[in-house]
Amino acid sequence: MGVTELLSQYGDKYIQALFTTWKLTALAFAIAFVIGVLVTVMRVSPLKPLRVVGDIYVHIFRNIPGASLLIILVYALPYLNVVWSYFTCVLIAVSLIPAAFCSEYLMAGINTIDIGQIEAARSIGMTFTQVISKVVIPQALRASVLPLTNLLVATMLTTALASQVPLNPRDLTGLVAHINTHAVGGITAFVISAALYCATAVVIGQIGNRIDRKVRILR
Amino acid sequence: MSNAHVSVRDALYEAPGPKTRRRTAIGTGIALAAIAFLAVGVVRQFYITGQLDSKYWSIFTKSTTWKFLGQGIAGTLEVALTAGVITFGLGFLLMLGRISDSKVVRGIATALVEFTRGVPTLLFLYFFFLVVPQFGLTLPSFWKITLPVAISACGVVAEVFRSGVKAVPKGQREAALSIGMSKSHVFLKVVFPQAIRYVIPALLSELVIVVKDTTFAYVVTFPDLMQNAKVLISNYDALLSVYLVVAVIYILINYLLNRASDFAARRRNRTLMAAQQNGNKGV
Repeated sequence: MGVTELLSQYGDKYIQALFTTWKLTALAFAIAFVIGVLVTVMRVSPLKPLRVVGDIYVHIFRNIPGASLLIILVYALPYLNVVWSYFTCVLIAVSLIPAAFCSEYLMAGINTIDIGQIEAARSIGMTFTQVISKVVIPQALRASVLPLTNLLVATMLTTALASQVPLNPRDLTGLVAHINTHAVGGITAFVISAALYCATAVVIGQIGNRIDRKVRILR
Repeated sequence: MSNAHVSVRDALYEAPGPKTRRRTAIGTGIALAAIAFLAVGVVRQFYITGQLDSKYWSIFTKSTTWKFLGQGIAGTLEVALTAGVITFGLGFLLMLGRISDSKVVRGIATALVEFTRGVPTLLFLYFFFLVVPQFGLTLPSFWKITLPVAISACGVVAEVFRSGVKAVPKGQREAALSIGMSKSHVFLKVVFPQAIRYVIPALLSELVIVVKDTTFAYVVTFPDLMQNAKVLISNYDALLSVYLVVAVIYILINYLLNRASDFAARRRNRTLMAAQQNGNKGV
């Protein structure tokens, strides 16, 4: 099947699929970021139980395969009377995993901060919350722009999990599987989706580099 | 720095006074209560839906179950190790392309690295599963899962190798060239062996991604851990318990790999620091 034939038949499906992938990526990254910050605050808090829970969260979701998590959400949770839509399940799976990595990158960012700064902040009487929100988090975020950019790309790649459940409209990977099982889309169908993924990844990378150059603190 | 071992995590608060200690104790109590409340809620949900029933969990006391799961783990490791070897080979070739003197080779290698890094494993998998057979080439299911996993990781591996090569001090290369070693000799005998030592931790972390990606083997029905879990479930009608146990097994495998990576990183840093100190003494 030629490119023009494929596009005339599936062109609008590709656009829908691209937007599904983008939507999943953006939502998942936003949720992952919020959870990542919360988990990081737990991991540096003075309360031991919170630290432990934060560490356990990271160990579980950094190491669980996406397919395993998605299957549990979709097929196992209904046995506990927890039933979510396919879209919700995919969104939760592709948020929880990047959130663990987000926390790891933020912890690494926190560790680049000079301990003297924290001691200085404490010595002028700032509370833990103040030290965290005014001194630590802003600097940790600035140091984490590049890792977080890579995380955004990784989140996009993870959203290909959506192809494992019947989603309407499909994502870019699900669409290729669909076209190739229903018609003979051949290599073209694959190349179009791959190109759209790559283009998105390159654009994200460029924007990330630019932000990083602006906000990075040179030490 | 004398207090190099103090992490930021520890520096955030000083030894607490009596007031703070009381507040921390109260906070700890509340946190523990909240966690216990959540845990009880989860267990209760298992209980009222009947998922704690022994018929779902007793299968894990049978040796046949573990033998079957063990075969699955062996399948997973077989795919992961083969894919790991292939991806390290491909990554090495791509890295050579990235540092080549020829502009054309560099361009091609860069494009391939960006391509493999920007495309999800599942898309590569569907390429080998659905597209390749259209050209009349039927691969065994082992290669249908191993090749896409290897290809999707090789771009990252190439960049990891390259970062290692860049980390080798320039003087090493210059010294080797000045005693008349050929360029390829210098790279293979002097630069790359040192580069490998810098990047072992990153390579081990990459293996975690390889192991995770092998879970898609069920798409091509290769008998890995996930696929064998599916068979167990249809035999015993115990979906929740089997999938949970399988998830824990995956988490443990990857946790061990991550621990190995951390261990290698600490050892490397110690060696590097020791080397630096000797250098400073002018030995």
